[in-house]
Amino acid sequence: MITQERYRTTVKELLANGSIKMAIGYRLGSTPDRRRPLFIRTSEEADQLVLDSTCMTNLSGYLVTEGLLSDEKKVGIFLRPEGIRSINILAAEYQLNADQIVIFGFDSTGRDVRPLDGRNVGEFSKLLNEIKEHPLQIVKEPLHWRIEKMNAKERFDFWQEEFSRCIKCYACRQACPMCYCRRCIVDSNQPQWINTSSHTLGNFEWNIVRAFHLSGRCVQCGNCDRACPVNIPLRLINQRMANEVLDGFDHFAGLSPTQEPVLASFKKDDTETFIL
Amino acid sequence: MAKIGVFICHCGENIAAKVDCTKLAAAMGEHPGVAVSVEYKYFCSDPGQESVKKAIRDNNLTGIVIAACSPRMHEATFRKACAEAGLNPYLCEIANIREQCSWVHTDSDMATEKAMDITRSMVEKVKRNNILQPIEVPVTRRALVIGGGIAGLQAALDIANAGQEVVLVEREPSLGGHMAQLSETFPTLDCSQCIMTPRMVETAQHPKIRLLTYAEVESVDGYIGNFKVRIRMKSRYVDMSRCTGCGDCITKCPAKKISSEFDCGLGKRTAIYTPFAQSVPNMPVIDTASCIYFKNGKCKMCQKSCQLNAINFEMQDEFIDLEIGAIVVATGFQIQNTAVYGEYGYGKFPDVITGLQFERLASASGPTAGKILRPSDGKEPQNVVFIQCAGSRDPSKGVRYCSKICCMYTAKHAMLYAHKVHGGKTHIFYMDIRAAGKGYDEFTRRAIEEDEASYIRGRVSKVWQENGKLMVRGVDTLLGKPVTVVADMVVLATAMVPQSDAKEFAKNIGIAYDEYGFYNEAHLKLRPVESSTAGVFLAGACQSPKDIPDSISQASATASKVLALFSKEKLEREPVIAINNEATCAGCWGCVLACPYNAIEKKDIRDRSGRLIKQVAFVNPGLCQGCGTCVSFCRSNSLDLAGFTEKQIFAEVMGL
Ligand SMILES: Cc1cc2nc3c(=O)[nH]c(=O)nc-3n(C[C@H](O)[C@H](O)[C@H](O)COP(=O)(O)OP(=O)(O)OC[C@H]3O[C@@H](n4cnc5c(N)ncnc54)[C@H](O)[C@@H]3O)c2cc1C
Ligand code: SF4
Ligand code: SF4
Ligand code: SF4
Ligand code: SF4
Repeated sequence: MITQERYRTTVKELLANGSIKMAIGYRLGSTPDRRRPLFIRTSEEADQLVLDSTCMTNLSGYLVTEGLLSDEKKVGIFLRPEGIRSINILAAEYQLNADQIVIFGFDSTGRDVRPLDGRNVGEFSKLLNEIKEHPLQIVKEPLHWRIEKMNAKERFDFWQEEFSRCIKCYACRQACPMCYCRRCIVDSNQPQWINTSSHTLGNFEWNIVRAFHLSGRCVQCGNCDRACPVNIPLRLINQRMANEVLDGFDHFAGLSPTQEPVLASFKKDDTETFIL
Repeated sequence: MAKIGVFICHCGENIAAKVDCTKLAAAMGEHPGVAVSVEYKYFCSDPGQESVKKAIRDNNLTGIVIAACSPRMHEATFRKACAEAGLNPYLCEIANIREQCSWVHTDSDMATEKAMDITRSMVEKVKRNNILQPIEVPVTRRALVIGGGIAGLQAALDIANAGQEVVLVEREPSLGGHMAQLSETFPTLDCSQCIMTPRMVETAQHPKIRLLTYAEVESVDGYIGNFKVRIRMKSRYVDMSRCTGCGDCITKCPAKKISSEFDCGLGKRTAIYTPFAQSVPNMPVIDTASCIYFKNGKCKMCQKSCQLNAINFEMQDEFIDLEIGAIVVATGFQIQNTAVYGEYGYGKFPDVITGLQFERLASASGPTAGKILRPSDGKEPQNVVFIQCAGSRDPSKGVRYCSKICCMYTAKHAMLYAHKVHGGKTHIFYMDIRAAGKGYDEFTRRAIEEDEASYIRGRVSKVWQENGKLMVRGVDTLLGKPVTVVADMVVLATAMVPQSDAKEFAKNIGIAYDEYGFYNEAHLKLRPVESSTAGVFLAGACQSPKDIPDSISQASATASKVLALFSKEKLEREPVIAINNEATCAGCWGCVLACPYNAIEKKDIRDRSGRLIKQVAFVNPGLCQGCGTCVSFCRSNSLDLAGFTEKQIFAEVMGL
């Protein structure tokens, strides 16, 4: 509660003195444990701000809305550490200018919400490096360990089973802040590489392509699997890819706004020298 | 409407023996869009090509598929035929039914089926091919030769003598490479220095050659005909415009006990030094690691002794940027670190030496003035054992290949020893004697018959010291029993291995290498002097172990390639380049980073009032090499490769 009140005051101040033109946060949703995004432009709107442990959604995707940042004015945004990482990636991929983003960082343990120190993304680098060394809660998920123990065949069957439910609604893509392409490869039909019908093969193609496009970029915010109407544990696939790039290339997505995308860059001491 | 011609070649018996060409032709004739489908014994022959041209004209074909050998063989041939018949050459595709089918299968029916699949998929592709025009790029007529060993010298001289400019970069203070270290050379036994030094001088004085010694290639950008090369001139601390090479500084330098690299540790040098007396250029450098001034700030004896004020302790590395049209890589080899052979006691027993050290002992300009004296006590050895393949052909030590020169130089060493130490005895342990080459077998026979080298076929298992003698234990496989030879000196024919930085260097200039670090040629048989990168050629031992005659031939071959390139003002390039769809590009710049040729730029898209709307990727057609890296990277699928568009590839795959 204290954190929420303080942040309401901060947002009002920054809006009033013109440091930010808008703040993106959370407000009450349709059920007690749901929150929906709030776009604060006025002091009254700031009073609707809610900040508690149920504020899960990574809001950073809203920042790349066409035109939002083109006036070069600053925008504030409420972010958990994963969200801060996605700001770094979006900056590294030139989708936004990190200096335009004012971060209201927070994190929660149990029902407690606490603020994170810093406003500019650069000020969080210590925190993010710590997270790299001590990866997040996801490793505690029992399903993650169950899958890790499976052999290739079992794993394949597991995912086939899961993907068989996919209805190709693309909610995962819409929810993911990293899926900002103007045209997604699934929507490209000249030629149609990825089958759009939701049969097993098509579903596999889609989900595998998404996993590859997010390797080295996913920050484990969980937007995708919360969005999935048929509850496919999507975050786990991306977690696996994140582990691969960490082991293979010592790449932890979103450490800094100048981090080179792992799949587009190569270092001379990379384990795989396939480019040359 | 597509009107495709399919031409099925028998390649004599090469294809027809496995693939039923008549059946294949009939099946293709049925395929939608195919107007002509015929077979012939040799389509690459003159009448064969004529028949293709005639078919194109008579039927107004819109594309052709030649079902034959690999496109590497005859794509160019048939594209030319196409152009002559008035059809855009990029509307010609090759279906490889030889290397990828008849040569690798035994079952005729299945091979025929597969040939149909391959040909059909190319028909589907060619239907979607577009007319393309070759790209013209200007050629900078200046060659860069990297490495001033015999290979580099030869390449530089050949190119320069044909009137073209050459920049020769050598990282050591002097030209010469390994050949300058040799005593006499097989198979003629002429003095290495006597045939080497005149070439070094000629190179240094050549008006068309710009010589940069003590220099290294920092970076290479660009592409064939238009490389941008940055050279680092390491600071010599000696001003080359003033120094006359008088050598006063060298005599005065108090740091005299530094082990000489040129003499393989058998001699000593000073901290300010030239590698050897005949160095070109004959101007010293200061080795900062050994210089007393650089170590503790006091000395400068050399500076005081120099009448011409040539010594400058403040000198810094400098960079030179060059525009280059073609590159010859002639960076040579090094000898294997013999310490990996603990059982032979190299490094432990001073009288176990390498072949290269023996060269220094036998050289008139060497540390013993050409007398064979053993390192431990300076006495003349009466019994010398040579161990061949000490490193080569030994998978356990990581070298599976034959170093090619050791059989010959060991025979040479035995001869030189016999000529210098009368009454001395030599034993040579060997696996095989490989002496293929003009005059080579005669040479090794001479060592055996005239100079009484005693060859023992077998490997040595151990060398140890006993009562001041070296004991060499091996096996004589012809007699089938172990032997022990007592020796005063043991000479190891160490393997030739790539330079220790060969792989790093290759990555720096963008060429491919094999598992050892020798540079890969574009085709082992057909293109042995081209590297995998257009405009970069390979000469000498950097490509594989070689002797002098081979290094020189290859160097002259690279020169002819360079000159052929320089014979034109413009270069025609394949129009296979990437193109970006600006409407869908997300401007993530992943492709900009991924492109190994730095061919992608950021382009501003503005509205009519000049306001910046967005930035997108733009592929510079002059720089793009068509590698496709960006295409596979782009998540939004915005990039496509002309000649291999996604549509074409997709059709090809679906045609299978
Ligand atoms: C013990 C021994 C005896 C031999 N005896 C004979 C013989 O009798 N007859 C015979 O025909 N052959 C003989 N050879 C083989 C002969 O030495 C080689 O064939 C020849 O030296 C190969 O020449 P090269 O120019 O390719 O390489 P090198 O002689 O190795 O020259 C390479 C040059 O490139 C320079 N360089 C390397 N890397 C770089 C870089 N990154 N940038 C700039 N410069 C660089 C090096 O400093 C060097 O000067 C013998 C070899 C050995 C080891
Ligand atoms: S893939 Fe899912 S977990 Fe990863 S960044 Fe996107 S939405 Fe978040
Ligand atoms: S959100 Fe779930 S159902 Fe929808 S496309 Fe993604 S994986 Fe499939
Ligand atoms: S990778 Fe694709 S989307 Fe990204 S900048 Fe290049 S062309 Fe555009
Ligand atoms: S195809 Fe793409 S990655 Fe390759 S050289 Fe051209 S622009 Fe660069």
